[in-house]
Amino acid sequence: MNASPAGLVAMAALLVLLPAAGLPPYYLHLSASAFLLATLASAWSLLAWGGQISFGQAAFFGVGAYAAALAAMHGVASWAALALGATAGAAAGALVSAAALRLSGAPLALATLAFAEIARGIAINWERLTGGGAGIIGIPALPGPTSQPRTVTYYLALFLLAATLSIFGWMARSRLGLALAAVREDAERASLLGVNPAAWKLCAFALSGAVTGAAGGLYAYMVRVVAPDLVFSSWYSLAPLIMATLGGPRTALGPAAAAVGLYLASELVLQPLVPALHQVGYALALIAAILFLPGGLGGLAGRRRNAAP
Amino acid sequence: MPLLEGRSLCMDYGRVRALGGVDVEIEEGQVIGLLGPNGSGKTTLLNVLGGRIIPTAGEVRFDGALVTGKPPWVFGRLGIGRTFQIPRPFAGMTALDSALVGVTFSRRRKLSRAADRRREAERLLAIVGLADKAGARASELSLGELKRLELAVALSTRPRILLLDELASGLSPQARAEVLGFYARLRDRGVAIVAVEHSVGTLARVSDRLILLSGGVIAAEGPPSTVLASPRVAQTYLGDGDE
Repeated sequence: MNASPAGLVAMAALLVLLPAAGLPPYYLHLSASAFLLATLASAWSLLAWGGQISFGQAAFFGVGAYAAALAAMHGVASWAALALGATAGAAAGALVSAAALRLSGAPLALATLAFAEIARGIAINWERLTGGGAGIIGIPALPGPTSQPRTVTYYLALFLLAATLSIFGWMARSRLGLALAAVREDAERASLLGVNPAAWKLCAFALSGAVTGAAGGLYAYMVRVVAPDLVFSSWYSLAPLIMATLGGPRTALGPAAAAVGLYLASELVLQPLVPALHQVGYALALIAAILFLPGGLGGLAGRRRNAAP
Repeated sequence: MPLLEGRSLCMDYGRVRALGGVDVEIEEGQVIGLLGPNGSGKTTLLNVLGGRIIPTAGEVRFDGALVTGKPPWVFGRLGIGRTFQIPRPFAGMTALDSALVGVTFSRRRKLSRAADRRREAERLLAIVGLADKAGARASELSLGELKRLELAVALSTRPRILLLDELASGLSPQARAEVLGFYARLRDRGVAIVAVEHSVGTLARVSDRLILLSGGVIAAEGPPSTVLASPRVAQTYLGDGDE
């Protein structure tokens, strides 16, 4: 998906100024949630760039959420707790990649799904650490003006999204992006040219896990509770997949734009009109993308540039 | 010491023996032509020497070091380049990015700046006559152009040896002549080549030594004139004449 630099700057300025314009707390929360989902969709695309399909991003999200929550409960500063969430997510990503070293395509996707379920099972059963099925409640709020807690999470979610988009843009033009693109197209051929596919695929998983883990950590601070069925929910595996597929996983802005658009349309339009079926929009979007938009909206709009190789 | 060496190479696919104990030595800057009918083991030998498959028995040495069983990317980084009989371009990438892969990941190039790597990839495309196709994807290239891209990609690692699988076959006479020109230029630069070509005449013209494979074993070996004069060549290609 192409966007002119001037358009991007205008969009960024608008998003930065929105809270100051007096956006009600509910809409700030909704926007922060949309940014978080956009971050998850971009993190999913970091993996898809190398041809790796994940059905288990909830594992990294949940691990990051629990790591940040536990750190916060032990008095660790919020920035350090969020960094810990990212680190835990990266470690989980690297672990999945190492364990699924020889897998690709559907078997890899199923392995990631299994890993997410295993992580959820551990969170439920390791009660002494995780609080079991009830999870951890009473996570301290993020520092900032107590009258406007939503504003703090809004800006942090926006910052995380901007950072993730920057990482994607850097990756697409870096050695990592080139190696992953070559592995995606023909792993054996890439290998014969000196690319070590396993190492680069592991890097992609760790990077995607770090971003997703950071989002999980921020989510823990936003809702101030973590529980297995909440943060390891399959929603955090499926939503990024659907949003990135619709937006175009090989574009920098496509997945994020699709995530924000789909989520806000679902919450602001479908939810009031058809509450029981408001999530049908996601299913329809996925079906439409598969049938009519193989490259996603980003591929349709861009047709070129932005996403290097 | 030979640059690349195969000792007692055997390769079995189930009960089918594709290579039955082949010894081969390739010196720096030497062009070896592999002859033989379909199924004689030519491509299998290239696959074993290039690290694409691990031989059932025997060993491969590069510069004296044992490389049998090492992953393919080790072979690529050492400087063993490869083209395929049916071109295998990175379909979703441009010609420039395809050439950039080897330039970036070869240990034989020390180009730390992205701009230098890009310039080198552009130079490789220019060498094979694809300078104006840098932004084209595989689907936009003709067979002849895809073969040239194969060569540019193989050269991108700055190889010391190239394993070329029917680079000239399927091309027009003019394009084939250009490919023969590449053989000569590469040899002049000291790059060793092991080439498989359907045309015996083509191979004889460019090779220092010919190896005739038949049923997975070496049936004849030596200078082109000697091997072509050998009755084994006629026997292998035309049969005994008794049937």
